[in-house]
Amino acid sequence: MGRFLLRRLLSAAATLLVLSVVVFAFLNVLPGNPGRAIMGNLADEAAVQALNDELGYSDPLPTRYFRWVGGVLQGDFGQSYAFQRDNGPLIWDALFESSKLALMAFSLVVPLSLAGGVLAGLRKGRLADRTISTVGLSGIAIPEFVSGLFLVFLFAITWEWFPGQARAEEGANVLEQAYHLVLPSLTLVIVLFGYIARMARAGTIDAIESDYTRTATLKGLPRSTVLRRHVLRNGLVPTVAVVSTQVGYLIAGLAVVETTFVYPGLGSLIIQAIPKRDFPLLQSAILVVGILYMVSTLLGDLVTAALNPRVRLGSEG
Amino acid sequence: MRIRSRVRTAPVDPNPSGGHCAMDRYRRLDLARRSMSEIENDTVDEYLRGNLSRRQFVARASVLGMSGGLVAFLAACGDDDSTTTTTKAGATTAAGATTTAAGATTAAPKPGGTVKIGCTAPSASIDPVKVGDLGGLIVLYQVGDYLTFSGSDLVLRPGIAEKWEPTGAKDGKEWTFTIRQGVKFHDGTALTPDDVVATFDRLADPANKSNALSVFKGVLTKGNVKANGQNVVFTLDAPNGNFPYLVSTDNYNAIIVKKDYASDFETKPIGTGPWKLEKYTPKQGASFVRNPDYWGTKPTFDRAEFTFYADEAALVLGLQSGAVDIAHAVSIAGGKPLAGGYSPNLIPSTAHRQLHMRVDQDPFKDKRTRQAVALTLNRPEIIKGLFDGKADLGNDSPFAPAYPSTDKSVAQRAQDLAKAKSLLAAAGQDKGFDIQLNAIKAQEVPDYATLVQNAVKPLGINVKTVVQDAGEFYGDAVFGKSPWLDATMGIVDYGHRGVPNVFLGAPLLSDGTWNSAHFKNSTYDGLVKDYFSALDVASQKTVSKKIQELLLDETPIVFAYFFNYTSWSKKDVTGYGITGMGQLDLTKAKKG
Repeated sequence: MGRFLLRRLLSAAATLLVLSVVVFAFLNVLPGNPGRAIMGNLADEAAVQALNDELGYSDPLPTRYFRWVGGVLQGDFGQSYAFQRDNGPLIWDALFESSKLALMAFSLVVPLSLAGGVLAGLRKGRLADRTISTVGLSGIAIPEFVSGLFLVFLFAITWEWFPGQARAEEGANVLEQAYHLVLPSLTLVIVLFGYIARMARAGTIDAIESDYTRTATLKGLPRSTVLRRHVLRNGLVPTVAVVSTQVGYLIAGLAVVETTFVYPGLGSLIIQAIPKRDFPLLQSAILVVGILYMVSTLLGDLVTAALNPRVRLGSEG
Repeated sequence: MRIRSRVRTAPVDPNPSGGHCAMDRYRRLDLARRSMSEIENDTVDEYLRGNLSRRQFVARASVLGMSGGLVAFLAACGDDDSTTTTTKAGATTAAGATTTAAGATTAAPKPGGTVKIGCTAPSASIDPVKVGDLGGLIVLYQVGDYLTFSGSDLVLRPGIAEKWEPTGAKDGKEWTFTIRQGVKFHDGTALTPDDVVATFDRLADPANKSNALSVFKGVLTKGNVKANGQNVVFTLDAPNGNFPYLVSTDNYNAIIVKKDYASDFETKPIGTGPWKLEKYTPKQGASFVRNPDYWGTKPTFDRAEFTFYADEAALVLGLQSGAVDIAHAVSIAGGKPLAGGYSPNLIPSTAHRQLHMRVDQDPFKDKRTRQAVALTLNRPEIIKGLFDGKADLGNDSPFAPAYPSTDKSVAQRAQDLAKAKSLLAAAGQDKGFDIQLNAIKAQEVPDYATLVQNAVKPLGINVKTVVQDAGEFYGDAVFGKSPWLDATMGIVDYGHRGVPNVFLGAPLLSDGTWNSAHFKNSTYDGLVKDYFSALDVASQKTVSKKIQELLLDETPIVFAYFFNYTSWSKKDVTGYGITGMGQLDLTKAKKG
């Protein structure tokens, strides 16, 4: 297990290095410059140039790249061009907010979709299966901004059950914060339910139709024991991998949901930095997103390995 | 062109046909006119002859700093178009025609409480020297004051300057502003003329990377602003008849800050405005508390909380779900779901789009081709479709109908496909051509590009539209590195200005830095120079007519419309005002 972990960490570090080069290169081929983006099209060209010089944007690309990477390695994520503040607090604050939303959404979507998927798998071909599959697929097909706006219209404007904006007043307690996060979390449930439930359903069906389940059943084990020990334990392994990949998305990929519900998360931080050509903020925030994806995938792999010895033994062999 | 100098004889009868301007008013006017300068008398003449509407007269009189009482008296003698604007200062206005924009009533507002506003987010750090976007200037406006306030009616009103006038040779090269006494900064120190001098020196100094350089370049040089007792004297690089607008809310960077200001506004937000900044969180919001020492009308509410929105649909939902009381600056189309349940507050502006055609490149080298394109547009239908009719017709020059100096006798260009076809044939393009149209991704611009695409189809012109986000479209914003400035055909957005100087300059002068049409015309350049230096409306109109006719003939740029914005509020929220630039004035806002 130790070697497995070490290999994965080394692989993650190499991936991050490549990611830093790719992100830096891609962002810097974007047309436009930060001085112009910040000061607007009406600003005097000399003033724009002077601002670009002050920001360090006029330096050669390699200088800027190594300055950025060097800073990140020392824990310094640089300074935002647009906001003239350190990127670190901007990113960590956004990450903290995103994590709250992700946690809330996760705590709703994982039990719901696992229960739905397993139930559909157990009732394969019957009404429950068809209903769950159809509802899930419909949710996947609806864009977040449509389902989000629909939920706001229904629950915030028409019935006034929940607030239409995700951010609670300053100093709000946990319950109040959770109350504000209900509608964006439900939006994410709509998006993710079908995806996770389908994986859980397929895993459940595979496990039910496997030889070991048939053997366990023929041995005369009670149905609940068969389900718990054999079907769920084996059937949910692929689902764990799927769920782990959604952690990164839930924390960093929610720009649309965050914008709809006026929530200051990491996704909207990145989206809003693009038009301003705020390269240091973009680079650092995307790098953090990369790290998040890797950590969540790694955790998923570790859980999978713990659940399924073949994975870790295979990797060590 | 110099100001007309002529011997004044008898005053023009203010109301020859009788009516409500009775004889005693006539005598009072006669007496008053004896103390007026030549320029002021010219302006009164233009008004009394009917060449200026009341709104335009009040606007022009305000630029010259004419006596408020006299202007109000004269305005009462004229036509009856109404003026709806606001000033947070609440001072007696030079124009004497202040009202509130959102239907304020005479009932005394109940003080206290919090007003919640949703608006677009400042896209960069808040620094008076550098701010260049709506979100930023909305925040600045709450905290700061300007020498003059420019209302959405284009009327200038006193701010930190109690009065102003052209001095010296009175040719518009020297302007003197009298600074209000008793004004305190938020830290308790008194505002002095030296603070005003330092503010403008800072803005005019190229070393400071000021966004106001786009306004002051060629107009004001650092070191040419001097304090003289309670006055501040501006000596300009060249005569400028519209200078008081350039130190108004129109030039949003020009809030008066302390002379030792050190680009630290976010940590030390010290201005003289009606609100003190309590907390500012980038991308999220800002909160303000009432400034009890404000020199003008003190805010009705104790607090104002701003929530920043990155998306217009979310802003509209914010109002609908009760999260905010006012949704500020919503496009006409975006605000449609609010009709009926909420109160609109229309913001008249001279904001517009410029559809350029490069005069130095085929297929637009021949001006007949450019004219043909302009003639295909059904402008009233475009306005109806894009703005629900809430916009003014453009006549292919920067002279919006709202400007007092616009000569409305110039015929409006209207759709004429037959003429367009014959012009295109005469230009040897009767079979049409293929062309790419680069358009900025901003509000209705992509839709406008599609309308242009459809409009020119009957001429055989196949337009391929390329819509680009602002960063991509502006590029480096210099020739050779910018689709905005390099495209053969393009559409760009321009915000409101109280006077057309900026629109006449950079986009159209031969050496203009935003001359996307690559239009070079020495006659035009000379006319614009004359226009800038003209002080009285008659002189401005004489020149503007020539400019309008020249631009209609050359058609380097199609100005199809000048559009308006709307703010929406809950029905019980009234009294708030909006400047032409879109700054939000909450001093007289009230609930219930």
